[in-house]
Formats: sequence, C-alpha cells, structure tokens
Amino acid sequence: MTEEPPLGQDAPPVQFDAAAPVTGQGRMDAAWGSTAGDEDLSTPVANTPAASGEIFSQEYKPWNGELNPRWMRNWAILRHHLLGIFKKGHRPWGMPTRLFILVVFIASLSNAGLTLISGLIGESTLHQLWGVSRDNLYGHVLGFFPRNVLYYPIIAALLVGSVISEDRQHGTSALYFSRPITRFDYVGMKFISVAVIQSIIVLLSLTLYYFAEIIALGRGWAWIMDTFPLFLAAFLSGVMLVFTYTSIGLALSSVSKGKFFPGIGLLSIVLGTKVLAVLVSTLFDREILYLLSPYDCMAHVGQTLIGTQPTYDQYSWTWSLASVIAMNAIALYTLSARVSSMEVTRE
Amino acid sequence: MDELIIKTTNLTKSYGPHVALDNLNLAVKKGATGLLGPNGAGKSTFLKTILGLIQATEGEGTVLGHDIRTEGDAIRARIGYMPEYDALNPDMDAIHQVRYSGELLGMNPTIALARAHESLQYVGIGEQRYRNIGSFSTGMKQATKLACALIHDPELIIADEPSNGLDAKAREFMIQTLTTTVQSGNRSVLMASHLMDDVERVCDNIVLLHKGKLAAQGAIEDLKAIDREIEIHVWGGATRLEQALHADGLTVRREGRVMRIAHTGEDTSTRILRCAAETGAQVRRMHEYEASLEDLFLVIMENLGYDVKSSEDLLASPALARKVDAPAHMGGGGA
Ligand SMILES: Nc1ncnc2c1ncn2[C@@H]1O[C@H](COP(=O)(O)OP(=O)(O)OP(=O)(O)O)[C@@H](O)[C@H]1O
Ligand SMILES: [Mg+2]
Repeated sequence: MTEEPPLGQDAPPVQFDAAAPVTGQGRMDAAWGSTAGDEDLSTPVANTPAASGEIFSQEYKPWNGELNPRWMRNWAILRHHLLGIFKKGHRPWGMPTRLFILVVFIASLSNAGLTLISGLIGESTLHQLWGVSRDNLYGHVLGFFPRNVLYYPIIAALLVGSVISEDRQHGTSALYFSRPITRFDYVGMKFISVAVIQSIIVLLSLTLYYFAEIIALGRGWAWIMDTFPLFLAAFLSGVMLVFTYTSIGLALSSVSKGKFFPGIGLLSIVLGTKVLAVLVSTLFDREILYLLSPYDCMAHVGQTLIGTQPTYDQYSWTWSLASVIAMNAIALYTLSARVSSMEVTRE
Repeated sequence: MDELIIKTTNLTKSYGPHVALDNLNLAVKKGATGLLGPNGAGKSTFLKTILGLIQATEGEGTVLGHDIRTEGDAIRARIGYMPEYDALNPDMDAIHQVRYSGELLGMNPTIALARAHESLQYVGIGEQRYRNIGSFSTGMKQATKLACALIHDPELIIADEPSNGLDAKAREFMIQTLTTTVQSGNRSVLMASHLMDDVERVCDNIVLLHKGKLAAQGAIEDLKAIDREIEIHVWGGATRLEQALHADGLTVRREGRVMRIAHTGEDTSTRILRCAAETGAQVRRMHEYEASLEDLFLVIMENLGYDVKSSEDLLASPALARKVDAPAHMGGGGA
C-alpha cells in the first residue's frame, strides 16, 4: 500500500510534468473561456453549426420561370389521380383498389372475349348468348347481376372512398386552396378523375365489346348502321350511370373524414334502396318505392333508351328520369356546399 | 427599401357577431415580418384574408400590388403558404408531394420535379426525399411543407407557426433556413408565431394583434427602444452621482447602489462615466439593459391597452412602459 496522506492535511503540492495535459490554466479556460479578449477587443465566436460534421451547404436557388395558366393546373389534378392507378409518384390508390379495377376491367370484357371466340370458332349458340344484341348491350351497362352488384358500384365505392375526404383528413386541402385553384376547379377535377376511371371500365369495355363483334364476325356497314343507335343508347346510359355513381359517391366523400363511410354509404344507397324496393314490391305489390333507388331509376331510363322490354311498366319512364335528375341535383348540391365551406387548413 | 408588400385599410372580418379582425390598418415592408398575438388574436384569419381565401367584411387591402378582394388567384400564385397543421399526404414520397405542389401552381411536370429536388435539398431533406412522408419526423414534415411553399421561388413566404413542435436542432435549422431565404434569397417572409425568440431572430419587423385589433407594428429595434436602459452598480457616492446625473438631464431610477438610466442616445454611457468621474463615484458594473421581445409584448399587452398603433405612440409613453419589466426591487413590477 502506498502512503496516502488524508485529504486536506499536509497534502504535498500537486506536481505535473511539462507534458501534463491539464493545467490550472486549462481548467480556467474550461470554466471561464479563455483570456482572449481580456486585453484587446475581439469577440469570441461560437462554432457555427456547419462544424458539426454534416456536409451541407444551404444555398438559396432562385427560379424565375413562367407559371402556366388554369388549364395546366387542372390537368395536373386530373393526371395526379389518373396516373396514380398505374404508377408510383402520383395519387397513391390502395393496392386493393388497383387490383379490383384490373379484375373488374377484365371481367367486364368477358362478353367481348366470348364474342371473339364465337366468331373465331363459328359457334352460333355462343354468339346468340354473348354477341352484340339489344339485350346484351343493355346488360353490359345496366344489368343488375353481376355488373351492378359486384362490379360498378364497388368500383365507384372504392374510388370515391377517400378522394375528397383524404384532403380533409390529411389537411392536403391546404395544398390546393393556398394555390390559385378555385373550389369549382378542385371539385370538378376530382369528379372528372373518378368519372374517367369508371368510364374506362364501363364505357371502354362497352366500346371494345362492340368492336370485338365487328372484327370477329366481319360485320359490314349495314349491320353497323343498324346497331349503332343501340350502341349509342347504351353508351349514353353508361354515361348516366357513371355520372350518378360519381356524384352520389363524392357527395358522401365530402361529408366525411374517413375512407370507409363514403364507400359503404354508396353501396348501401345503391344496393340497399334496390333491395328495399324489391321487398316492398313483393310484399305489398307496390312498386313506387323504386323511385328512391338510383339503380332502378337508371335501369328504367336505360331500358327506354335502348328499347329493351321494360320491367318497370307500371309507371312512365319520365318519373324515373326525374328521379335520377333529382338525385344528382341533391348530391351535387351537397358536394358543392360542402366543398365551398371546406376549411383551407386541417379541420 | 421601404417597399410595401402588404397594405390594408380598415380591414374588418366578422364571423356573425364575432369580430375576428377589427379595422386593421397594416403596412408590411419587404423583408421579414413577425405576426404575433395570443391565441385567437386573429393571426390565421388575417393570413386567410390576405390570401383572398375568405372575404373581408369591410375594408380593403393589397398584397404585392394585387387586390385581396378580387385578385386572390394572382396573389396565391406569387406567394408560398406554409400552413400551420399537417398538409401532406403520408402515403406519398416527399419528392412527389413537393413536385405535385408545384404542378398545382401550373409548373410543368419536368420543371416541377427539378425544382422539387432543389427545394427539398434547400430545406435539408437530402436523401430522405424518396421516403414516404408517413415515416417522417415532425421536423422533416415541417421542412417538406416549407419546400412545398418554396417550389416556385415566391416573392413572399407566409408561414403559420413554422417552428411548431420542433426540437431545438430542427427549430434552429428552420430559423436558419428562413433567415437565409430572407437574407441571401432576398425574399420576404411573414411568419405567425407565438415564439418571440424565433420571431426576433428571423424578423426585423413585427405586427402585433390582440383580439382582432392592431396592438403595435413597426421595426423591432424601434419598438425595443422604448425600454432601453443602462444599469450601473455604484460604489461610494451613489447619491452624489444620482444628483449629478439628474443635473445632466438623465432619467435615473435608483435602488440602493443600483441605478438604471434611460438610454437617450449613443452618448448616454459617456455622460454617465463623466458624471461618475466628476463626483468621484466608482462604477463597478455597467451594462446595457434591453427589453426582450417577450417583455415588450407584455408591456404592450398589459399596460398600454390596445390603442397603440405605432412605435411613436409607444415611445410617447415610455415611463408607463417601464413599469412592468423593472425588477420589483427597483420599483417596477407593481403595475
Ligand atoms: N370559421 C369561423 N367561424 C367563427 N369564428 C371563427 C372562425 N374562424 C376563426 N374564428 C374566430 O376568430 C378568432 C380569430 O381566430 P384565428 O384562428 O385567426 O386566431 P389565431 O390568432 O390564428 O389563433 P392561434 O394562435 O390559436 O392560431 C377566434 O376567436 C376564432 O374563434
Ligand atoms: Mg392560427
């Protein structure tokens, strides 16, 4: 054991050799800074953050390009939503939505495929079942099962799900409204985006179906002249269908913050009212309730347009048309009222 | 330069019976301006009104020479707005979100992408820019929002609480970025904030709102001058020195051997030392005492009422102003 004098009692003065790193001066420096500036005026400056080891130099880069006018801004909104279906970097649609769109698109082309096959193998019963005819054109757009149960309303529900409500939820409305974008353009472009995606499924597949028949069976001008009005009527019904699903769906999206309410709401409006109308008509033999069901009203109008056998023959189709128009008006009114009172920043 | 970027005359905005902005006459110069005021003062309402997003009930105003009532679109194309709350889609990459924010201004996609890279780099989001915003920290989100606002190199950046929720380092960086934007980018910034320190570091001018009314506006330097004093600690001959100082025309408040002398000009300290030399009193300590913006805020809020409109008004009643912030032992604080 070395002899250690008790602290504070006759402790020998501390000795350091010349190389000792810490001296009294060093400690003083640590405690009070250095002697710099005591005599002559120089300001000690703290190290700048740049010395923290990060290689980062902040440099403001000006830009003085021209901003394009209104149509380019609107085009950007449309592109954002449409391209998002296909690739990354645009509006992130959920994977289920994208898959479902693909599946439904292929499924809704089933009649076109079967028409092609029937033309190639010359099978006429197959063609009678699936080829272009008045009933099949109607069925492609407005047929209840499976198209207006499993395909179109669900697509619409998936699409409208969060298209406006996400902006309320994430506060991204500020991104639009703090830029020169009017509420009208905002809601208009969202509407068109959703409608265009549905149109790709409903209307593009209808057109492909029609052309499949022309190609597979080598139809001539006479046939085209005969059937084109039917095709046009079906196309028009498709436009009505897409428009109505979009406006009801977006109205629901604009009143909610979540993702699921608008979709579920749309489905229950489309299918629920239909079921209700069917129930009431079978139980009480009263058909008037179908006027509350968007699908039934559109089907009625579509049957009249395309000229198939009407199944809603108790009443005039103008009632149904009036009802479709009223439903759209209510939906669009709700939508515009909600969007124009939408807060700029997050609510 | 005394170029005005925002000017309002009798701007009033009411929500039904509630007056959110009351007859505001504001003039905001080029450079950095802080918009201060307690919760509910009307800061956000003011920002929305000058962006043309909500209609003023009465009065008029211009931003960068555009009428706020009719040319909202033109204003919003020339400013960059950084909102207070989250305004980013958590499922998008930062780079694409910022690019989209540029496209929404009418930039074409290629240019918007190039600018998005530049502005994210500028706000310090380097390689993380390819990451989902959902995985970002608050500081990075805040920086991304700033990048969205800066993408088209606007003349005026309007930031609502830019340093909200940031830690010391991120806050430091945000302040530094805003300062660089003003100083080397030569842009103007209007920032609403509760944090006096931040405003003081970025801004030269402030606008102070209270309950929808203008409480004060002007250069921070000028406003602070209402409360600039020199504090000395005297050893020996304090009373003689006090009398000499009075005789010299200086305003002195004394508590024992500590005195505070109102700063009246650059020669004030020389005059104090000359008096001390003449009376033989020793000045042991001497330092300039300057109100912080925080003090100033309290002075204006609590003592002067809400009728003060300019720094001249404030300077006209400095004695009253001093009441609050002098320590209790110096006869202050009793206001
Ligand atoms: N849409 C509205 N309807 C009714 N009153 C409103 C509305 N928006 C704001 N106000 C009221 O106007 C006043 C000013 O609100 P504002 O949001 O501008 O305050 P602020 O200064 O931004 O507050 P904070 O510091 O909390 O952000 C508040 O009293 C608020 O309640
Ligand atoms: Mg606010």
